[in-house]
This record gives sequence, C-alpha cells and structure tokens, in this order.
Amino acid sequence: MESIKEERKLLKYTYLLCIVLFVNMFFIGKDGFDKGALIMGVIICILFAYSHFIITRFFPDGDKYILLFSNVLAVIGMGILYRINSPIALKQLIWYTVGIAIFILVVVLFPSLTNFGKYKLVYMICTLILMSLGSLFGKEVFGAKNWISIGGFSFQPTEFGKLSLVAYLAASLQYYGKDIKEKSEFIKFKALIEPGIVVMISLGFMVYQRDLGSALLFFAISVTMLYIATSRFKYVIVCLVLFMVGGYISYKLFGHVRQRVLIWGDPWKYGYDEGLQLVQSLISIASGGLFGTGLGLGYPTMVPVVTSDFIFAAICEEMGLLTGFAMLILYFLLFYRCMRVPVYGKDKFTRLLAVGYSTMIAAQVLVIVGGVVGAIPLTGITLPLVSSGGSSMIITFFSLGILQKISEDGQSYE
Amino acid sequence: MNDFVINIKKVMLVFLLLFIALISYITYIYMFNSEKAVSSTFNNRLWAERNKVLRGTIYDKDMNALTKSTKISVTSQKEKYLQGEIFAHAIGYMNPVYGLAGLEKKYDTELMGSGETVVSKFFDFNKKEEEKVGNGLRTTLDSKLQKKAYELLKGKRGAVVALNPKTGEILSMVSMPSYNPNNLEKDWKGILANKDLPLINRAVSGLYPPGSIFKTITAISALENIPGVSNRSFVDNGTLVFNQSSSLKNYDGEVMGNIDFRKAYLHSSNVVFGTLGIDLGNNALKETAEKFYFNKDTPASGITIENSQFPSYKSNEKGNIAQSAIGQAQVLASPMEMALVASTVANDGIMMQPMLVKEILSSKGKSLKKIEPKQLGENMSKENAQIMKDLMKGVVAEGTGANAAISGITVCGKTGTADHKGDASKQVAPHSWFIGFAPYENPTIAIAVIVEEGGVGGGIAAQITRELIKTYLQ
Repeated sequence: MESIKEERKLLKYTYLLCIVLFVNMFFIGKDGFDKGALIMGVIICILFAYSHFIITRFFPDGDKYILLFSNVLAVIGMGILYRINSPIALKQLIWYTVGIAIFILVVVLFPSLTNFGKYKLVYMICTLILMSLGSLFGKEVFGAKNWISIGGFSFQPTEFGKLSLVAYLAASLQYYGKDIKEKSEFIKFKALIEPGIVVMISLGFMVYQRDLGSALLFFAISVTMLYIATSRFKYVIVCLVLFMVGGYISYKLFGHVRQRVLIWGDPWKYGYDEGLQLVQSLISIASGGLFGTGLGLGYPTMVPVVTSDFIFAAICEEMGLLTGFAMLILYFLLFYRCMRVPVYGKDKFTRLLAVGYSTMIAAQVLVIVGGVVGAIPLTGITLPLVSSGGSSMIITFFSLGILQKISEDGQSYE
Repeated sequence: MNDFVINIKKVMLVFLLLFIALISYITYIYMFNSEKAVSSTFNNRLWAERNKVLRGTIYDKDMNALTKSTKISVTSQKEKYLQGEIFAHAIGYMNPVYGLAGLEKKYDTELMGSGETVVSKFFDFNKKEEEKVGNGLRTTLDSKLQKKAYELLKGKRGAVVALNPKTGEILSMVSMPSYNPNNLEKDWKGILANKDLPLINRAVSGLYPPGSIFKTITAISALENIPGVSNRSFVDNGTLVFNQSSSLKNYDGEVMGNIDFRKAYLHSSNVVFGTLGIDLGNNALKETAEKFYFNKDTPASGITIENSQFPSYKSNEKGNIAQSAIGQAQVLASPMEMALVASTVANDGIMMQPMLVKEILSSKGKSLKKIEPKQLGENMSKENAQIMKDLMKGVVAEGTGANAAISGITVCGKTGTADHKGDASKQVAPHSWFIGFAPYENPTIAIAVIVEEGGVGGGIAAQITRELIKTYLQ
C-alpha cells in the first residue's frame, strides 16, 4: 500500500514536471504563444498515463519504478529538445511512442525468457554481423563510420549489436561453473575463450569504425557480466590489463584515437577545430551555472550536435547544473532498480541478461556525460532516453522491457 | 545464489562510486574552471547577447546612410560599409573577429542602445517581438567632399582634413592608403603586411614634420609677442649662420634681400623666420604652439588625436630653435592639428573643438541628443587673426601658394615643404603640405593636406586643396 502511494506521488510529480516544462515553452514561443508546446505536453502526459496504467493494472508483479524513472528522463529530454528544435522534438515524441509500445509489447507478448538461453549461436552470428555492418557499408558521420542507411532510413547497427552482444554473453556465460567439482580450473577457463574472442572482435570493429564510445561500453558490459558470472575478481584484473594494452596499441596505431586523447588533455588548445565540441560544451555548462539560465534564455545551440551527444550540456545550461545532477541521480536510481531485477531472476541466463542490460544503460550515461564534461576522452554515443534518435530510444526501451519482463516473471513465480 | 547477490551489490557499489565521482568532477570544473570557460574567446554568448540589437546606422551630414547592418545568425550581424574604402578611417569598423575601431568603437554604446524600456516590453509579450535597432549617428561628414578627397589622394600616401572653422565640424577626413572595411577577413593579412600601414588614420595619428606651414604659428607668436613686428624689415642674404658648422638656408638657396614681415611669410623665408624664432626664444614659441594643443591632448569628440610635439631647447641651441621656428628639428604635427591652426585663423583666433558626430538619433529618426560645438579658447587677438588672414590670402594671391587659387573665390593658405628623415640610403622627396581656408570674406572651410614625399608644398598639396575648396563651395 505504502509503495503504491509513493508511486502515485512520483507519477504526479512527473505530470507536474511535464506540464511546467511545456507551459514554459508555450510562453517563450518565437511568435507569441506556442500552442504546439501545449499539445505536445498533453500527448506526453497521456502516453505515460496509458503506459503506466497498462503496466500497473495488468502486470502488477513487475518493478514499478523502471517505467516511472525512464518517463521522467524522457520528459526532460523531449522538453529540452522542443526548446532547441521543435521538429526534432516531434520526431522524438514519435520515437518515444514507439519505444513505449515496444516496452509494453515485450512485457505483454514475450514468453518466459528462460527459453531464449538456447540460441547462443544465433546471438553470436547476429552480433558479428551487426558489428561488421558499419565497417562494410558504413558512412561517416562526425568522424565515426557507424551509420548505415537502408532505403533512406539510417540507423546505427552497433546500437542493435549491443542487444545481441548482451544476449550472446548471457547465453554463453550461463554454463560457466556448472558442476564445479568435475571441472578443473583450466576447463572452466576454456569456457571463457569463445566469448572472449567474440568480444575482442567486436571491440576491434568498433575501434576500426572509430566508434570508441561503443568500444568502451562493450568493454564495461562484458567485464561486469564476466564478473557476475564467474565471481572472480582476477578475471576483471586480467581484462583491465588487456584493455589497457589494447588501448595503448590502438593509441599508437590509430590517429583518431591519439587525437581524442590530445583534445581531452587540453581542449582549449584546439578550441577552434578538433576541440570545438568539448570547449563549447564546457562553456555551455559553465554559463548555465547551478540554476541555469532558464528555458529559452541560454544559447545551447552554439554547442555542436547538441540534440544528441551534447544534450547534457544543453540541459545544464538552461535548466541548471542541479537538474544535471538530478538526472545523474535518477539514472543511478534507474540502474539500481534494474540491478534488483536479476536478484529475483529464476535462472542464470535471465539474470545475466538483466545485469547486461542494466549495465549497458548505466555505462552509457557515465561514458557520454563523462565525455561531455571532459572527465574522460569524448566519444560519440547517445544519452539513453534523453538524446534525440530513434535507434537509441528503441534499444533502451526494448532492454527496459526485457528487464520489466524478467522482474515480472521472477516475482510472479515466487 | 548468495554469492550472486553479493556480486550484484559489489557492482552496484562500483557504479555508485563512478556516479559520485562524475558528479564530483562536474562540481570541481564548475567551481574552478567555469570563469575561465565563460570568459574564453571561444564563448560566442557575449556576441549573441549584443546581437539582440541590430546595430544602428551611421549617416553623413545630409542623412545619407554610410552603413547598413543585417543579421546573419544568432551570434553575428554584418555591417556593410556602403562607401567602402572612402570612409574607412572616418568611421572605423565593427567586425566579429577584429573587434571595433574608430567611430564604431567610440559610439558603440549608442549604436547598440535602443530607446525601448524594459517595462513596456514585458507587458507586450502577446505582440510579435519587433526587431530592436540601435540608435543612429549623424556625423558631420560631407560625402561629396570626402569622395573628392579620396579620389585626389588615391595612389598616394597622405591625409586630408577639412573642418568647418566656425563649429569645428569635421567635413572630411581621409587617410591614404585606405582599406576596405567590408573585406577585413579576406584582406587582413595583406593589410598587416603592408609597409604603408593602411590601418593607421594618418589624419589624426600621423605625426609629420610640418615644415613651412608651421611658420603660421611662428608668425602668430611673433605678432603676439614682438610689438611692431609686422612693420619690421629684414635682410635675407639666403643663409642664416649660427656657427661654423651649422646654418639655415632658404629653399633652393634663394636670396630675397631686403624684405618685410609680410613678404617673408608670403615667400616662406627660412632666414627671416629662423631669426624670428631666435628673437622669440624657445619658451614664447612653445607657449604659442601649446595654445594650439601641441604637447597636449587635443579635446575632440568622436576621434582621438595623437599629440603633436614641440620640443624644449636651451637658449644656446640657436640652430635648433631656428629650425623649430620653421617647423623642422623635432617639431611634429598631425594633419588634424594643422587644420585646426588654419581653422583658428579663419575663425578670428577662436579655436573650435573638432567634432565628428553632431546628433544621435533613435532608430525611427527622432533626435535623442544634439552635440553642440565647443570653443577651446582664444589663441590670438582678433586684430592679429585679421593680419594672419591677410598674410595667408597673400600666399595664394602672390606667394608660394599660387596653385591653390580659384577664380571667383578668395582662397587663403600656406605651403609647406617638409624635409624628413626617410630611408637614409636613398634620396627622398620632402613632404608636400598645405593648410588653408576659404572664402576669405566669410570662411566656411579650413583644410590641411599632406602628401608624403609629394615634393614642394606649392605643388600637389596646393592643387588638392584647390580642388577640394572648389568642390565644397561650388
């Protein structure tokens, strides 16, 4: 009962946030009042009222906060996108709708996920194909060769590659350590060779496609899953050492890697060319201050690719650093709720799957926000749920749907 | 199972620490780096803030627009200089890369300011927001004269200043070589590499030895300090000897014989004016020069004038004192300063403050502020001014300035042929100077012209003055 009350309260605040954001936008319209803002705000409210209704009404056993937290983040994202460029926000609204639909469909239609653990080979092939697509047919966008277009519809295959990589790792690592007594240490280790090779190939493709953000992300996911599956800290150490060696080699080998590191070292030196994005992002965050300039009063459009990679800077400038912190906390809470899911998982495959998807979202946030504020070398990946972009939205909601499904299954049987 | 939960907790802890580290890092850069970030040159927000107002227009004295601003993007607007090179030094430039210069800099606040109040805007949010336009400036420049001066100087190095002697209004101010303020980005490297320094406004910042036009100041000083000098007669044997090693000769070694004060001025006798300089002494002459704001900041509105220089000498440095009386030695003057000398004589001895802007207008053309002419002081008595006017009339009518004469208009003036230390390796021609005003009866224009290495003052500088006066008065 108590939890339902809390949930209602949170839901109310989300509506309030949405209304405040879009009413604000209504007033700052370029030519007097902007009615589009109000319409969009109402549509968003209806959408998450509907999704929340479906989930709580028909699937009351699952985690209630996953959807709530993701909705708050998506609202902030669409709000700032509407402020920056309303047509992009409209597209984002469509993708959000699609995302919500996928989320619900996954929960409603998918059979128990335990059975999916068998298709290891399928996941492996999918992963390798998706990873290589960019290298073979990719076109360059912002220096990374990870976009392909099919019939006028362009997307990032690696985004979907993430999903299958996690599934493959979960399927492959689930057998590790079964019947411990019979197997020696070496035989157990042998079970890790195949996933190790697949991960390395994927990382190689990412570095080749200059998509260093994804490479970092894959590494973080793989190491976390490896640790959860094996409980062995020394594997983590080995991986870290290998990653550093690999990183050093690619630093020596590839100019683009060196360049990223150089910019990260002193962005101001390259402020007019290579460091432009980072420098503008830092200026944007600094000029917002703790409380921000207020919607429509800053100049976030001075930051390049502000609608996707650098949306965090725009949010910090207009809504304040405090909103940025709040978002980070919200992401962590989302991660926390997601990581609770595998605890109730029925079998190792679903648990690992849940760990993988949770890590994917959290690591993505750390990598892109860290890059945008200059804490780590900048890599172009999206901020899940907030950045504009169809693939990112779909992937994130799909993984959240899987998590919701696992939590639903786990709870209902216990 | 237990193992699994512990592992999950450990992973959560690691991620919690990473999130905390990230938030701490952001706090750190916010606390210690944000000031540097905001004030860095990469921050276009200040330009964007400025850009909310469309820069006002600069007009000539007849309200013809000289500039036109258009918005390009959120952060930038382009100011088009409709007359290009012709008004470059008079107006200056506004450029997002190279900043502000000249009038654009002096009157930046006015050009970017608009009359609208904040309150009225606040209650007006239903209406489509009108483009804010900065105030306009009505300058004192005469487009026709400016264009003529530009044409006459084209291809040479030098400057022209034309003033209204009664008000101090700057009618024309041209410096050569010029630059095109519309193409600064493209031309900047070439402009900086040019040995002739096109960016310098020679009219106010060029300091030259004035040569014989300085005799005007020496004559004024003599009239004020030596009673009866205008009736005195001198012997000019062509050379003024100070000691064995140094002497002062007339131009071309001319010997004028027995002449009076008037004739000495008309024919620009170095010997006579050198003698007068010694008679006056360094102090008296310096005092007169300083009345004309030598060695001091000349008050001016809309421009900044480089200080002209008149040196101090000990009384035994006769050679230098004599040289300084004919505008050589260490005497340096800007064309603006010399135009003010001519203008003061024309205005019966009263020096007017030079001014470039006469009115500030709102974007709709309403007058917001009028700038009134200001007197700087009476530099000579009315009688002496009349004597000087007659002398200068004589220069054009029967002396060295014959080239400036116009039929139907009585032009007054003084020529100057200034030796200067050019490149030591080669023989350089002297600077050609001319100061003057017209018409004699009721002067409405006072002019100073210098053509660097242009030869004798009675030549090219006098011709340019003639053409300008013709353009202005006819």
